[in-house]
Amino acid sequence: MKKFSKIIALLLCLSMVAGFAACGGTEDPTQPATDAISDGNADDALTDGNAADDDDNADAAFDFSEVGQYTADNTEYFIGATGPLTGDTSSYGISVQQGAQLAVDEINAAGGLNGVLFKFDMKDDKSTAADASTGYDALYEAGMQISIGSVTSGSCESFASRADEDGVFFITPSASAASVIEASDYAFRVCFGDPDQGILAAEELSANFENIGAIYDNSDPYSTGIYDAFKAKMAELNVSYIEQSFDAENNRDFSTQIEALKDCDAIFLPIYYTEAGLIAKTCVSKGCDALLFGCDGLDGVAGQIDETVTNTIKYITPFDVNSEDELVVDFVAAYTDKYGVAPDQFAADGYDAIYAIYNAMLKAGVDNVTVAPEVLGDAVVAAITAEDFVLKGLTGEMTWDTTGACTKVPVIVTLGE
Amino acid sequence: MAKLKKIKISDYFCYIMVAAVMLVSFVVAQTGNLPRSYSNLLVQIAYSIILAVSLNLVVGFLGELSLGHAGFMCVGAYVGSYIAMQLAEVIDNKLIVLLLSMIIGGLLAAFFGFLVGLPALRLKGDYLAIVTLAFGEIVRTIFKNMSVFGKAMGLSTQAIKYDTRKDTSLYLVSFITVLVVLFFVQNLIRSKHGRAITAIRDNEIAAKAMGINVTFYKLFVFVIAAFFAGMAGVIYGHYTTPVLYSFFSYNYSIEILVMVVLGGMASINGSIIAAALITFVNFQLQSHLSGDQAALKYLIYALILIVLVIFNNAPKLAPIKDKFSPKTLLVKAKGHRHPGEIRSDTGDWRVIPSKIKMDEVLSVDLQQNTEFTPDKPQKGGK
Amino acid sequence: MSTIFDGLSLGAIYALIALGYTMVYGIAKMLNFAHGDIIMVGAYAILTTLAAGGHIGLALVVAVVTCVIFGIVIEKVAYKPLRGASPLAVLITAIGVSYFLQSIAQIIFGAKAQTVTVATFGTVSIGTAEISISSIITLIVGAVIMAGLTLFVKNTRTGRAMLAVSEDRGAAQLMGINVNRIIMITFAIGSALAACASIFYLMQIPSTEPTLGSMPGIKAFTAAVIGGIGSIPGAMIGGVLLGVIEKICLSIPVLAPYTTAVEFAMLILILLVRPIGLLGKKRREKV
Repeated sequence: MKKFSKIIALLLCLSMVAGFAACGGTEDPTQPATDAISDGNADDALTDGNAADDDDNADAAFDFSEVGQYTADNTEYFIGATGPLTGDTSSYGISVQQGAQLAVDEINAAGGLNGVLFKFDMKDDKSTAADASTGYDALYEAGMQISIGSVTSGSCESFASRADEDGVFFITPSASAASVIEASDYAFRVCFGDPDQGILAAEELSANFENIGAIYDNSDPYSTGIYDAFKAKMAELNVSYIEQSFDAENNRDFSTQIEALKDCDAIFLPIYYTEAGLIAKTCVSKGCDALLFGCDGLDGVAGQIDETVTNTIKYITPFDVNSEDELVVDFVAAYTDKYGVAPDQFAADGYDAIYAIYNAMLKAGVDNVTVAPEVLGDAVVAAITAEDFVLKGLTGEMTWDTTGACTKVPVIVTLGE
Repeated sequence: MAKLKKIKISDYFCYIMVAAVMLVSFVVAQTGNLPRSYSNLLVQIAYSIILAVSLNLVVGFLGELSLGHAGFMCVGAYVGSYIAMQLAEVIDNKLIVLLLSMIIGGLLAAFFGFLVGLPALRLKGDYLAIVTLAFGEIVRTIFKNMSVFGKAMGLSTQAIKYDTRKDTSLYLVSFITVLVVLFFVQNLIRSKHGRAITAIRDNEIAAKAMGINVTFYKLFVFVIAAFFAGMAGVIYGHYTTPVLYSFFSYNYSIEILVMVVLGGMASINGSIIAAALITFVNFQLQSHLSGDQAALKYLIYALILIVLVIFNNAPKLAPIKDKFSPKTLLVKAKGHRHPGEIRSDTGDWRVIPSKIKMDEVLSVDLQQNTEFTPDKPQKGGK
Repeated sequence: MSTIFDGLSLGAIYALIALGYTMVYGIAKMLNFAHGDIIMVGAYAILTTLAAGGHIGLALVVAVVTCVIFGIVIEKVAYKPLRGASPLAVLITAIGVSYFLQSIAQIIFGAKAQTVTVATFGTVSIGTAEISISSIITLIVGAVIMAGLTLFVKNTRTGRAMLAVSEDRGAAQLMGINVNRIIMITFAIGSALAACASIFYLMQIPSTEPTLGSMPGIKAFTAAVIGGIGSIPGAMIGGVLLGVIEKICLSIPVLAPYTTAVEFAMLILILLVRPIGLLGKKRREKV
């Protein structure tokens, strides 16, 4: 498999959100003791109204000595999360959980935040809203101070509505629906937003191909989110294409869809890698040699196909498991060593989310392990939206604005060309 | 049977139980010591009880297997919450909005209950079960594809959701709903209509011959059960956001069925206890088994389920259980009770004697003061 | 045209699973919700054998043996103690078994889907349509198994004993038939069928995960009911019909998102016209 997973990492000269501030140094997340922040423009560093004027008196603006209702007994900073750990979508939740746990272990091995360690716990939510809020309650009452939210969009919206009541900051690794970060001022994300990816894909495909097809999963918010944006953009560009859909809960056989798209040059797949692997294999048996083009959910597809697949697969992703980047190489080695499987996009996003929290807490100057979640929430929001806050993670260099969206540069990975 | 109307505590046990839980939690909440997770757990327990009791009407009392109860809840949750959000813009009072939407959501679910009841007139047993399952899946698929209800993203009910930090009253409303449902169901079952329903279960043809309107009662039970399930759905919509189609899969219908079967068919008290217990066990398992251990959750749940069901139902265990049941022990302590003694619960609505038991009762009456051994049915010899 | 062929090959898989379903239902009179998960067990047995370097034939044998052992053990532990109890109780333990198997699989193999390449066959053209050879094999094997089962039930001692048990368990016992043994054999055959189904499933959908069985399980249940539960040819017809309808729905863009709804609506319609399924046996009710 490895032999044909060659990479062309195109730096696309557009960033997902306008206003990418390219200033500031970057830091190596594997060395957590160093400061995440460059000496930027101290005066106008922070955009948030609550925020302090500069880093030096950040401590003064937030009273970290305030103890929360449930956090008085904390001896470690408690990062909580919910995600599907059982059921149909459990592989995604487990990946995030493992990636995040790896990051926490690394930070703790390096001494934690000023000597205070971190604790990470993920509750199972089976991708349902009700279980996500139950999980949230359990975490909050166990002393959760900060969070990486939920893995899937539907449950993360539920999580966000609870977190908003309490002022708990969270940065979700993978819940990409727009409604998630709209639901709370304390909601941030590591992944790209769904609409951005759809628009980008529409532009890419319409510029390079004549006959375009698309297959989306009508039961999945991620897939429909990207697809709706794609559809709108294609209509705007006045490009026609063939539309096919499936329902991942009920149909795993893609022969009909591929039959309909047999003559296409390119097929857009705004879906996850499990189904994409099956689609690639169906393409082989149907004799369809179209290029398969996907979004970040396709990352991990290399593990789902074998040498019989001859189609070229391209996907927009901020993370590439075969990257030469030192950070990624180390992460992949550590992850494979610990869990026995190669990491996917979800694991990398989980890892980055933890480091985003860590670095933001470092920047905010948090110094009390029993700090109340709402105080920490305000401080971290101020820190993470600061103009000079740049995280160099596995998924690229990231900055955040007050909407909670993440700005990072996507690359296009190509398999088997 | 000294008095014509004898008040028995066991008949009112369910009210007492539910009211006590409500009162205790209300007092604790007033002192500010009720953790939010518990007030939310109470809401979950409340809608589970409504679902279990209403499904028991269909499965336990009417005797038809239904695997689509979550479908009715789905209708209530989606439509009821949607209507509540529209109403919330006009009416300022949250409680009135909730009650109104509960009635409207319930009525719509009841309409679907009527639709599902129609095939129930023609189909029996497992064929009906698959039709109800099919209905649940159809409803889910349709809601999933309607853009009014947010498609795959689900219907965001943020606008009407109870902010559980500031306002914990949702569990109170839910428990009062439970009491109302219980009041209705208990009185229905004890009325002549209730006896007609159980008669249909025991022998449809005989019931027909007695002049019972089977068509009416079958539809009636389905409509009522769907109405309550729809109300539970509206509570669910106010409790969490978003209302997402994936929750209402046949797996959830089966979970409600598990509550009914574990609690005992045609036992309202049993349904209440089982619904509360299963919700609580799930809550505890979810809270305690996180991260790497989450996969154990279903393992433990499955084992509990298998062991409990086998313990409750295995015919071979019945004599052992009988020997150590509190009733037998009580009788032992009091001394031997004569089998011919007329007990106060004979002919009670809850004790529906099977054919064999009827034989026993009759033969005992005929030959008093003699050693009596009823004919044991041969294994599988029914 | 090729849509119909795709439907046929998908339907053949549903039919294979439905055969097992219908056997167990007809004789043990219980809805075995864990039947789909036996397919998952078979799929993982195949995966493990192939990963260890085994031949595909060996993998099939291993899958059949594993599934039969699982089937018998499950029957002994979870279902046999409940013989004579209400069918609902057995339904609930079947669900418990289903959860149990899924979580065991997740603990052992992980939740991530694993790709399995069973065998790659080419395609043949019939007219304008191209059909994969694997789907033709699936159809043929399905038909052969159906014929074999029908012959087995009609012509062998054990088969006739099965018929007797399904007709009247008490009477069969009085006639000297060991009911427990017959039910055990039924479960063994049902599980062996599930193992066969798993290999064809993997040919068509070459990936396995712990929840693989639940969807085909429900579809096969639907197929068995359409054909009339307990009827062997009925299961075959029901499965194929369901597969074809599913594929036709998917090929019409407007209907595609509603495929599940259409399938189940068709089921309801068929049952309303024929309340006992297409080939189900009518039973007169005694008063």
